Amino acid sequence: MTAVVTRPAAASPFAGLAALFAPFRGLKILLPFAVLILMWWAIWASGTYSAQVLVSPPAVWNTFVYLVTHGVLAEYASTSLTMIGIAAAISMLVGVPIGFAVGVNRYAAHALEGFLRFLQGISGIAWLPLAIIWFGFTHVTTLVVVMYTLIVPIIFNTMIGVRAIPENYTMALRSLGAGPLRLVTDVYLPGALPSIVVGLRLGMGYGWRALIAVEMLVRKGGLGDLIFGARTFGQIDRIITGMIVIGCLYIIVDRLIVQPIENLTIARWGLLRK
Amino acid sequence: MSMQATSPNGFAARALAQTVWRLLPATPFALVLLAWVIGWQIIHPIEETLPPVTGVLDAIWQRLKDGELERHILASLGRLCLGAIVGIVTGIIGGFVAGLYRGVSEFLNPLVVFFNAISGIVWLPLMIGWLGIGTALAVFLIWNTVFFIVFQNTVLGVQLVPEVYEQGVRALGAGRWETIRSVILPGALPYVLTGIRSGLGFGWRALIAAELVGTPDGLGQMIFAAAEYHRSDIIIAGCLIIGLIAITMDRWLLAPIERRTIQRWGLVIDTQRESLR
Repeated sequence: MTAVVTRPAAASPFAGLAALFAPFRGLKILLPFAVLILMWWAIWASGTYSAQVLVSPPAVWNTFVYLVTHGVLAEYASTSLTMIGIAAAISMLVGVPIGFAVGVNRYAAHALEGFLRFLQGISGIAWLPLAIIWFGFTHVTTLVVVMYTLIVPIIFNTMIGVRAIPENYTMALRSLGAGPLRLVTDVYLPGALPSIVVGLRLGMGYGWRALIAVEMLVRKGGLGDLIFGARTFGQIDRIITGMIVIGCLYIIVDRLIVQPIENLTIARWGLLRK
Repeated sequence: MSMQATSPNGFAARALAQTVWRLLPATPFALVLLAWVIGWQIIHPIEETLPPVTGVLDAIWQRLKDGELERHILASLGRLCLGAIVGIVTGIIGGFVAGLYRGVSEFLNPLVVFFNAISGIVWLPLMIGWLGIGTALAVFLIWNTVFFIVFQNTVLGVQLVPEVYEQGVRALGAGRWETIRSVILPGALPYVLTGIRSGLGFGWRALIAAELVGTPDGLGQMIFAAAEYHRSDIIIAGCLIIGLIAITMDRWLLAPIERRTIQRWGLVIDTQRESLR
C-alpha cells in the first residue's frame, strides 16, 4: 500500500521547547478527535434526531461501557481476532513455502504470476456465496474466505521477493556446498522477508475487511455480526461503538504487530529501502 | 550463442522456447480447467455444489442473451466510476492541501489513520440506515475506500518532492502557484497514480461486498441472489467476470498509464523499479 518514509526531524530553534512538551504529544493526537466529537455533538444537539438515526457521544460511551461490563464486546471481538489470527497463521505457513517453491523456478514464477493476479482480482468476498453453499453458515466459511484473501498476496509477494534476490548469492552458497535447506534459511528467507512482510500487511488490510464483511452475512459472531445485527434493531449506538472498536483493533494489530515486524526486517536485512 | 543463431536448428529451438515462454501463463488456467472437467466426470458432484464447466458457460450465455449480465455489469461499473471519480478528486485536492501545509497534515493525520482503518465495508450498517439500499450507499462506500488511499499517497508524493527543485524554480522567479504547477504536481504524480491504482483495487472489492446486501442489482447482488437458489453456476460465472474486470482495469488500463507517467516524469524511477520488479 503506502510506503512509510520517516524523515529526520530538522533541528529547530524550538527543539528545547518541543522536548519540554514531549509528554503532551498524546494530546496532539487526541485533539483532532476531540474536535470531531464536538462537531458530532453539536450536530446532534442542533436538531431532533431519533435514536435510530443519530445518537450523542455520551450515549455511545454508555453503550460501550455496557457492552464491556457485560462481556458482550469481549466475546464478539475475541471471535474476530481469533479468526484473523488463525487465518493469518495458516496463510503464512502455507503461502510462504508455496511462494518459495514457485519463486526459485523462473518458469514456474512466470507461469503462476498471471494466475495469481487473476485470483487477486476476484476478491475473497465474491467467493462467499459459493462458500456458503459448500460449508453453510459456519466458521469454516469465514475462515476459507479470509484465508483466500490473505494467502494470495502472501504467495505473490514471497514469489516476487525470491525472484528479486541476486542469483549470485544462491550460486555462491551452492558452490560452497550448501544444500536446499541451507539455501532457504540463509538466502531465500532473509532475502525475501521484507517482501513477505509487505504481502502479509497487504493481506491483513484486505483480510480484516473481508472478515468484517463475511461476519455481517454469516452471522456467527464477530464484530461484523455485532454491528450488522444492531442494524436490524436500529441500535445506532451499538453500530458506532462497534465501528470504533473495529478501527482501534485494526490499528493496534497493524501498529503493534505487523509494523514492528516490518521495521525489524528492514532494519535487519535492509533490502527494501535504503 | 552465436553458434546457435547460425544453425537453423538453433533458430527453431529459440522460437520454440519463446513460444513456450509466452504460453506459460496460460498453463495454470488450463490445468484448473482440466482438473475441473476430469474431476467432475469422475466424482459427478451435485450440480448445486459444483456445476460442470459447460454449465458455467451456459449460465454466462443465458444471461448474455437476455441482457441481464450486461445490466449487472453496467450497474457495477457505473457505481465504481462514480465513487472512484469522487474519491480521486477529493483525495487529490485534500492530499495537496495536507501535503503543502504541514500543520494541516499533522492535525489530520490521526483522523486519517483511524478512518482509514474503518474505511469501506465497516460503514455499511450505519449507512444502510442513513442512505437506504441503493446506489448512494455503494457510491459512499467506494468513495470512502478510494479517498483514503489516494489521499495518503498524494500527501506522501507532495512531501517527498525534493525541496531543491522547489528552490530552483523559485530562484528563477516562479510564484507559489507556478511552483506547485511545474514542480510539485509532476513530482507527486507517480505517487498519486499508484494511489489511484491501489485505491481502485480496494474500491472494486468494497463495491462487490456492498452489492451483496446493499443494492438491488450489480454483480455482487447477482451472485448473492444466486446463492439463495443454490445456483453455483451463476456464482462461478459471476466470480470469473469480477476477476476479469478487475484484471482488465488494473493491467490494461491503470498499469500502462502509471508506467508511461513514470517514464515521462521520471522522478521516482529508482524506488519504483525496486518495488515493481
